[in-house]
Amino acid sequence: MLSLQHISKYYQVSGLKNFVLNDLSLEIDQGEFVSIMGPSGSGKSSLLNIIGMLDEPSEGYHYFAGHAVHQLKEKQRSALYKQYIGFVFQAYHLIDELTVYENIETPLIYQDFKGAERKAMVADILDRFNIVGKKDLFPAQLSGGQQQLVGIARALIAKPKLLLADEPTGNLNSKQGEEIMELFRKLNKEDGVTIIQVTHSEKNAEYGSRIINLLDGKIESSKQL
Amino acid sequence: MIGNYFKTTLRSLLKNRAYSFLNIAGLATGIACASLIFLWVQDELTFNHNFEKRDNLYTIYENQTYEGKMSTFHATPGPMAKAIKAEIPEIKNIARTGGTNNLLFSLGEKTINEEGSYADPEIFSMLKMPFVHGDITNAFTELHSVVINATMARKFFGDSDPVGKTLKINNEQDYTVTGVFTDLPKNSTFKFQWLAPLANIDHKMPWMMEWSANWTLTYVELVSSANVNGVNKKLQHYLASKNNGTKTECFLFGMNDWNLHDNFVNGKMDGGRIEYVRLFSIIAFIILIIACINFMNLSTARSEKRAKEVGVRKVMGAGKGKLIAQFIGEAIVMSFIAVFIAIGFMYIILPSFNNLVQKELSINISEPLHLTYLVSIGVVTGLLAGSYPAFYLSSFNPIAVLKSMKLPTGAGFIREGLVVIQFSISIILIVGTIIIYQQIQHVKNRDLGYNKNDLIYVSTQGKLSAHFESIYQQLKQSGVVEDASLSDFPVLQIWKNTDNYSWEGKQPAQNPLISFENVSSQFVRTMGMKLASGRDFYPNSSLDSNSVIINEALAKQMGKQGHVGAIIRNVGNKSYEIAGIVKDFLYNDMYAVSAPLVLYNNPTGTDVLSIHIKRNVNLQDALVKIGAIVKANNPGYPFEYKFMDDDFDQIFKTEALTGKLAGVFASLAILISCLGLFGLAAYTAERRIKEIGIRKVLGASVAGLTGLLSKDFLKLVGISCLIAFPVAWWALNNWLQNYQYRITINWMVFAAAGILAMLIALATVSFQAVKAALSNPVNSLRNE
Repeated sequence: MLSLQHISKYYQVSGLKNFVLNDLSLEIDQGEFVSIMGPSGSGKSSLLNIIGMLDEPSEGYHYFAGHAVHQLKEKQRSALYKQYIGFVFQAYHLIDELTVYENIETPLIYQDFKGAERKAMVADILDRFNIVGKKDLFPAQLSGGQQQLVGIARALIAKPKLLLADEPTGNLNSKQGEEIMELFRKLNKEDGVTIIQVTHSEKNAEYGSRIINLLDGKIESSKQL
Repeated sequence: MIGNYFKTTLRSLLKNRAYSFLNIAGLATGIACASLIFLWVQDELTFNHNFEKRDNLYTIYENQTYEGKMSTFHATPGPMAKAIKAEIPEIKNIARTGGTNNLLFSLGEKTINEEGSYADPEIFSMLKMPFVHGDITNAFTELHSVVINATMARKFFGDSDPVGKTLKINNEQDYTVTGVFTDLPKNSTFKFQWLAPLANIDHKMPWMMEWSANWTLTYVELVSSANVNGVNKKLQHYLASKNNGTKTECFLFGMNDWNLHDNFVNGKMDGGRIEYVRLFSIIAFIILIIACINFMNLSTARSEKRAKEVGVRKVMGAGKGKLIAQFIGEAIVMSFIAVFIAIGFMYIILPSFNNLVQKELSINISEPLHLTYLVSIGVVTGLLAGSYPAFYLSSFNPIAVLKSMKLPTGAGFIREGLVVIQFSISIILIVGTIIIYQQIQHVKNRDLGYNKNDLIYVSTQGKLSAHFESIYQQLKQSGVVEDASLSDFPVLQIWKNTDNYSWEGKQPAQNPLISFENVSSQFVRTMGMKLASGRDFYPNSSLDSNSVIINEALAKQMGKQGHVGAIIRNVGNKSYEIAGIVKDFLYNDMYAVSAPLVLYNNPTGTDVLSIHIKRNVNLQDALVKIGAIVKANNPGYPFEYKFMDDDFDQIFKTEALTGKLAGVFASLAILISCLGLFGLAAYTAERRIKEIGIRKVLGASVAGLTGLLSKDFLKLVGISCLIAFPVAWWALNNWLQNYQYRITINWMVFAAAGILAMLIALATVSFQAVKAALSNPVNSLRNE
């Protein structure tokens, strides 16, 4: 599904290149559930942002679903991104002024879905996630676990092929974390969504089908489970 | 999608009530204020628009040359109208009026003074006067006919049709009402309540039909195809052939220019009210811009709170264009809320504003012009105020804002720049207010050469002038009157003048315009004028039939002959001996030096009785006593008086209005700027809350922290002063050049304005600063 070849990301600091990612290559197939681990500053989030097209590598080739991303223009990249990718954050990043329902609906608005269609899709996912009763509440009225559930529902609403999660359980207690991980596994197994998550927790990493360890911007090890 | 934006906007407004209040209140104040000014401007620009033929209507003006300079007058010779109508084919219609007359109308016991004019009948069709009763074409077929307006008709006849009924004018002659016209709008040049045929006075005063006397106002309607320049060419030297080679030139002055362009310098049009219309329009825009700047400032200052939303929306696929649309949409929603509130404000303020500007302005939302204006001001303000925040907010990099909440730098600088602009404008307005006020006071406190206080005057209707001797004796006996006298005019305005005086040694090129006035012997004393030399008039005017009193200005003109006992000759070559020289006093132009003047001791036929009331008496009692005396000697006429100092204040109407408005606008500009500053200070305090916490833990005092937070803002006000002072100096120095008698600008004014702005800013900012400094550091540090 996606292929990174010789990807580097660096910042120039007084003439010296400060590498975040250093000549990294990686292939990920459709249907995989990959966990990226590594100490702070090893480049986990940068890698995820590049995969998610929120950031551009300084060097290297990036292929996604048959497109050479490094050659695409901003607009085309954004179209590709909208079609294929959903994002889940550690801090949920829900819009405080919108209700649960409206938060989930927002990506559909940006992808120009018609009103009736949006209604059906949001109703469907609220149902699937068992949060129909919460649809008119605002984020501040929900617990952390519930907020993250909304965050995931929002990431999945447009039926992405690839779900990117940056420490999705980082702000949750272990029970809530487990529930989220179970949900990820189910999405991966039953719906065939490809998932890439960044995590600090060994236990959560093991929900995936492959664990990649990063160190100093390079892949230190890759382990198939 | 718009629904979604609308929801976010409203919820975010409700969630941040204080911020929304500051933002919308500032914008609403700005819009209300600018809209009021635009209402005033609209009223000025549509002056005389009720007259359909205004594009073809003109008055004839004269340029007369004195001392090598042209002065412009609007009175013309009586026979001119008829003559040029016959000679110039482009003239479709022509009509004369005899200026404004205040005459006593009576119906049975009811007597009321009403202002109106004697006029030629063509005036009706030229002005297309809307008649409610009567026949416009035959209104003046009879000599003693009068046409009155609806208000006057109601006063005398109630709601019945008055056509055919009679009104007595000046207790002398019955006039038949032949028509009633609807009241003319307030913003029209013509103020008459009634019109009567000019022929009524033509034949009474034969000198008015001489080519050498300027008396009537002549109104011209040209055919629509006429070339105005061509007609002007024919008129330019027209009078020379009629009035033995006079250099006086005539020209047409179009109705569309009457209100706004009526100032003439050396015979050429040179501004007029249009300058104030421009000035106020600019001020309106400036106030609107200040309000928009506020909006931008507060929106960008709050952007850190919204950065997350921007990041999230971008991650969810929102393009930059959609985000810009969202933020501008929000700004427009807010500006429309502001417009609605502003309309409310305007309804509340309008009565006092009308009182201030002496107009009857009204808002009419169903009028297409006003509706279009309100909608466009909502959109324009929204775009203007929303554009910068929209571009700024939508440019955030999602990763940066979601991860570290780091914002692009540079906005701080722009925010500070905007605050500097706001305060610069405010300071300029403060300086302007003070200097305009000073200038008005300067002129008002000028030594006029007479005492305008405790002075009233009445016009000498009926037998007032004839019975003056007995009135005078009774007034003196009443104990409340210092002195009283008769004269042609109230002393502030003397409108009789000529260049036909001569004296020994007068140079041919020397032809100053000299004013002259008939007065009674008590005039100099009543006015409190001082004689520089010679004697006052004798009480018996016949003893003075060959004497005059001149003023110092004329004495100076006369050079060696400018002394008591010298001889001055008038147009008929009659010689007068100069009996006295009165010290210069001001009349007509309060900003200039006194113009040359001759006074005659000749009370017959004078129009004004001036009464100087004693200083220490009760004014109301005095007026009652005076009224009784005047009425007893002049039965059938009401006692209607005017205060000279009210008239005096009227002269400064425009300046006083400018001063008051500048004051109002300065306060509003400051208020709006302070709303913005308040919000900005709150933002700064919030952003530096951690720093403040740490400093406090390290032992900083509340006073020290307040100073730390306030310092930066005061620096901005300081910079504003540096920008505002030169601009204000330049602008006001220019304005003052309009006046011969003027103040010099004092640096203290600038210091005062600067300090005032500093204090206001400090008061605004320190509230937030103190609040932040007093907060418990434990709370602010815990969240890290």
